[in-house]
Amino acid sequence: MSDDVKVKVRGLTKKFGDLLVLDNISFDIKKGDFVCIVGPTGCGKTTFLNLLVKLLEPTSGQILIDNEPADPKKHNISFVFQEPSAFPWLTVEQNIQYGMKIKKLAPEVIKERTEEILTALGLSDVRNSFPRELSASMEQRVVIGRSFAMHPDLLLMDEPYAQMDIKVRYYLEDQVIKLWQQTGSTVLFITHNIEEAVYLSEKCLILTNKPATIREEKKIDLPRPRDIASEEFIELREYITKQIKWW
Amino acid sequence: MDSKEVKKWYYVLPIISILMFIVLWIFLSIPADSMIPSPKETWLRFADICVHPISQAILIVHIWSSLRRVLIAFAFAIFLGVLLGVGLGWSKTFYSIFDPVFELLRPIPPIAWIPLIILWCGIGELPKIIIVFIGSFVSIVLNTYAGIKDIDPLIINAGKVLGANKRQLLFEVALPATIPAILAGIRTALSSGWMCVVAAEMIAARQGVGFLIVQGQQSGDTALIVACMLVIGVVSMLMSTFLSKMEGVLCPWKFGKTK
Repeated sequence: MSDDVKVKVRGLTKKFGDLLVLDNISFDIKKGDFVCIVGPTGCGKTTFLNLLVKLLEPTSGQILIDNEPADPKKHNISFVFQEPSAFPWLTVEQNIQYGMKIKKLAPEVIKERTEEILTALGLSDVRNSFPRELSASMEQRVVIGRSFAMHPDLLLMDEPYAQMDIKVRYYLEDQVIKLWQQTGSTVLFITHNIEEAVYLSEKCLILTNKPATIREEKKIDLPRPRDIASEEFIELREYITKQIKWW
Repeated sequence: MDSKEVKKWYYVLPIISILMFIVLWIFLSIPADSMIPSPKETWLRFADICVHPISQAILIVHIWSSLRRVLIAFAFAIFLGVLLGVGLGWSKTFYSIFDPVFELLRPIPPIAWIPLIILWCGIGELPKIIIVFIGSFVSIVLNTYAGIKDIDPLIINAGKVLGANKRQLLFEVALPATIPAILAGIRTALSSGWMCVVAAEMIAARQGVGFLIVQGQQSGDTALIVACMLVIGVVSMLMSTFLSKMEGVLCPWKFGKTK
């Protein structure tokens, strides 16, 4: 096995009582990769991410990060949930710094990265505002910033733009790509929006209906910035759509 | 009516409401055999007790006696109430051990404790403080507990995935998220605390606003009773306003404005 494998998932299975949600999933994610997981709604995508960050325990199987069992306390993992999850009592700036302070980074590093993130995400003007004073999309930007600020080895994103309108989504998708390229983080992005998956990822993991298994790993080797109207883009999008059809 | 005029009404209406209350009060106090003192009599009695002592103390000393009891009891109630509330909400083991006893004692009205506490502790300061403590403790515990339980799991999960350990989750995530609920509990506790201090003073005290009310009753001095009742109302209102301001200071993210 080559050394640049960041995440190794082997035989991952999750049952809730008798309900089998994930069935024997195995795959690898390379360091610095941007992988999207697509699948029908309710197929267990979120369960899968929750297993990765130990919010849930697998019924069987293993998740290894850098060849060690995944552990958010040991590994530098970050998670962006579907709903904005900024801490309401911290300002935008303090929210972005929170994860870095937990990891006890040096004050000058924290300061430098905070400035980078605030600038990159256009949040400098609201740095002293509280989440309550922001729109949902802006709050989600804060959460994304908080995650990238940690320069995570692995960043997990669970449909973070599901509730955004299309204009904001396009903007934030570009922001994420920019931050991914800047920080070199490995990103695992869950979405049910296939256009989003093709636009963002280097590789798409296509899941089947519940109990979910991997139907196919599809490499997306389109040049960036990607043109959603190009022939290759549409071809890939339609191909993946066909793969997740269960009817 | 445009919105500016509507706004003006919101300022005028409370004044009208108070004036109507005073008019009604005057009206009820007019009959010669009325047991209700007129506003003028009440005001004069109030002015009198501000300078002439009853039981060797002027009004402000009596107010301070009551207030001191409330504040001491409150300090203990807040400390222990928040501790118990957080314990009940945060730890299942703690909940299993303490909740049955708490649920058993909680419905007992604080005033029902008065006889027993007087028997145990006599009629000094301590029994009054204990009664106020009982009266305010429960709502602080319940609100803190509800506050911890109501924390959005998403926020706790966000803390977990950012790598916060159990101590950090409690002190840096759960507790800040619960402060508004704790403050709401303190506000509720304030009214029951005052109720208890007056009740305790009415039974056994030499100073305090409740003591003055009993003095009024024993000497048929209705003006003194009403003046003291109004004093209780005003002091409670001032404390409530102070707490509202404190909410803005302690939770700027919830009640204040940064822009």
